[in-house]
Amino acid sequence: MKIVVCIKQVPATHEVSIDPETKRLKRESVEAEVNPFDLYAIEEGLRLRERFGGEVVALSMGPPQAQWALREALSMGVDRGLLLSDKAFAGSDTWATSYALARAVETVGAVDLVLCGKQAIDGDTAQVGPGIAAHLGWPQATYVSHVQDAGAKHLTVTRMNEDGHDVVQIDLPAVLTVVKDINTPRVPKLRDCRTALRAEVAVLTADAVRAEPARIGLDGSPTRVVKINPPPPRGGKTLVLDGSPAETARRLVHELRMKSLV
Amino acid sequence: MHTPTETDRAQYRNVWVIAEHRDGKLKGVTFELLGAARRLADARQSEVWCVLLGSGVRALAGECIARQADVALVMDDPRLAEFVDELHADALTKLIEKHKPEIVVCGATARGRALIPRVAVLTNSGLTADCTGLDIDPETGVLLQTRPAFGGNIIATIKSVSHRPQMATVRPRVMAEPEPQTARKGRVISEPLPTAVQHAARMKVLQAITNTAEGIHLADADFIITGGRGLRGKKGFELLRRFAHLVGGAVGASRAAVDAGWIDYAHQVGQTGQTVQPKVYMACGVSGQIQHLVGMQSSDIIIAVNKDPNAPLMKLADFAVVGDVFEILPAMMDEIRRV
Amino acid sequence: MQHHIDKKMFHIEILSPKQKSQKLEEDLASFADKYRRAFDAGHVICIPDNPMGNLAFQGIELIQELGLPVHGDQVSVHINTFHTKRDLDAMLTAACDLGISHMLVISGDGSPRLPKLTGKEVGYDVEAVTSVELLRYIRREYPGKFHIGVAFNPYEPQDHELEKMHRKVDAGAEFITTQPVIESHPAVESLWQFGLPVVIECWMSKKIHLLSECVGYEIPEDTPYDPVSNLQTLMAKYPKCGFYLAILGFKTQFPILKDVWK
Repeated sequence: MKIVVCIKQVPATHEVSIDPETKRLKRESVEAEVNPFDLYAIEEGLRLRERFGGEVVALSMGPPQAQWALREALSMGVDRGLLLSDKAFAGSDTWATSYALARAVETVGAVDLVLCGKQAIDGDTAQVGPGIAAHLGWPQATYVSHVQDAGAKHLTVTRMNEDGHDVVQIDLPAVLTVVKDINTPRVPKLRDCRTALRAEVAVLTADAVRAEPARIGLDGSPTRVVKINPPPPRGGKTLVLDGSPAETARRLVHELRMKSLV
Repeated sequence: MHTPTETDRAQYRNVWVIAEHRDGKLKGVTFELLGAARRLADARQSEVWCVLLGSGVRALAGECIARQADVALVMDDPRLAEFVDELHADALTKLIEKHKPEIVVCGATARGRALIPRVAVLTNSGLTADCTGLDIDPETGVLLQTRPAFGGNIIATIKSVSHRPQMATVRPRVMAEPEPQTARKGRVISEPLPTAVQHAARMKVLQAITNTAEGIHLADADFIITGGRGLRGKKGFELLRRFAHLVGGAVGASRAAVDAGWIDYAHQVGQTGQTVQPKVYMACGVSGQIQHLVGMQSSDIIIAVNKDPNAPLMKLADFAVVGDVFEILPAMMDEIRRV
Repeated sequence: MQHHIDKKMFHIEILSPKQKSQKLEEDLASFADKYRRAFDAGHVICIPDNPMGNLAFQGIELIQELGLPVHGDQVSVHINTFHTKRDLDAMLTAACDLGISHMLVISGDGSPRLPKLTGKEVGYDVEAVTSVELLRYIRREYPGKFHIGVAFNPYEPQDHELEKMHRKVDAGAEFITTQPVIESHPAVESLWQFGLPVVIECWMSKKIHLLSECVGYEIPEDTPYDPVSNLQTLMAKYPKCGFYLAILGFKTQFPILKDVWK
């Protein structure tokens, strides 16, 4: 099985904030990491390789420093890393990003399965996985929590939704987005990290994946960010209740009753 | 890629809501979206269309109209009984190509977030995920889409000026549900499943399983009672379950409690769990790390019960109850039962 | 372990390089240098296990990979409950092979990235594995191989902390290492009842405010603090104890230590 795992380098979110003066995102000092959800996709790729053989390729689109995300994937055990990096990609929204990634998957060639994390923790869109599937014209299953079985031509997987889960059979090639329940990502060993630091990470340009200029970057992106703001502060004051349990219970239940909430 | 011209764009009219339903019932998010769509359509002097894809969905048309739809656009076919991403996306794409809506909105649910990105690619349109606000720009008539990003640390406003339709998934439980008006009149348009998309499905649903363990799911609950480290073990969650049962709510958990193995991951609220927005969020023995707060801070009313009055969640809460969960909850249950 | 105190050997904490480091080789060289200097000076080298849930390399793999000297007496690795059973056993086996004889067993800080040992894996019917179960497991599976210490936090509610200490001692703890103590702490005296060697941590950075999270109250950033003088105070106050030093400014502070404990 030839597997491509798409990963994204994201800032560690707890450190992201808005500069109150410039109203711009403060990102300079922010540490970057592999999108946590993508680690489950990497791990699942490795496990499928262990079960069925084949190759796992990590693919990331981003600036040159996104190579560190790929090196992390390499240290976990993927066979090779591909960095889709070109100034022409700058400003891509999820439409253009999924297009570029789909072109890269086609460039890799003979791919059976694309794995993505369920969403990235910076954008939280969950749109790139299904977008890749649409651009490739492949079937998809999202929020996958278990891969039960794999044949030469299909997979049987469990996908989650708000009400429960479905067991589905999906033909290959296909795109899966995976959730945290699917596995426990391995922690890389020192020796593997050292090797990964020295490994070659191939860089693919827009031309190399034959991406049409009108479909990438700002030009290829239907959406525009108009503005970003800090979230509105929570209104209202905190009412502290520190009386006896019975007293507190009476007060609280009264408040909830007044609003028909119990 | 061909960017549509002004003339192309002018052909696109009306606001579409993609209905979500399960077991023959419309989900609450559909009503919320119909309410929002009404507002947008009025601003654009156009109509609200509710799109029903599925098997046996014709029966739901009246309810959509009662909740502000002018048109119920129905594609009722047994082959659409289960959610097959590709098939549903192809069918919806054909409907969009034929009827040319200006705006398409859908719930930001597991299904909506699988379906709509696929359709956005196929129809070459701009899509904004997980919106919490939708407005029409009074000057340009363009849809302004507001959404949180970076785990709720920023709010971004996004638009799609040149492409049509403008598409958005909308976070459930943010918009208000309109009351049903049974006397409302509307039209029903039926469309067959296009022959072009009747391809042998490349995915089939073998089994659809509904969780029954907890009665009400986090995403649907008006009342969520969440436990953290302060519950001290599995037993604490039994108390929470009894409380949730009494108020018709759902049980959530902080990461600390999930990590400790006291309760399953499906209950986890926060950055790495579910984002919830109930009417009442009651956190018991949860200190309130930022990762937890981003998953629940938009709840209408937040109640925190904690022995430590300085816990971060106690500062954020509308009601900060200083005390022992194991005394407060039974007292509240007595009080609720008393009346 | 008592001989560490008798021979006036400090426990010197050396932080291992972070997994995410982009200058790993440099970090490794610096780690090896500190390790060798502390080792040559006759101290005990202590290597923490993913403190604050941040992924760092394991002490044991560092020693193996960098070929660092081990003398049974002079290395103490920390081991926490955030490992897979497989990784845990690999670490313990490697520790045996290397002749590492001391370890500090702690519950540890988790993170979404770290797997958590389950009761089932280590054969105990518990809701969550803590240092007590981990200690019992190591005693059971590696009998007689290690001198195992446990942690003591004077800043937690003491009834809980002492109850847990009894369980740790029953499980086979042989020494106790405290959280950082400033001048003195009444809770330390309650440890004498266990009749075990006690090692007191002394914070060796002037930035005392960094301890806020550990002690549970806010220490203002400009609070004056002289680490060496605190160490001397502690030595005078607790003459029968050993001392665990978390040194941040190794270059300047390490040379001073040679004359402190005479």
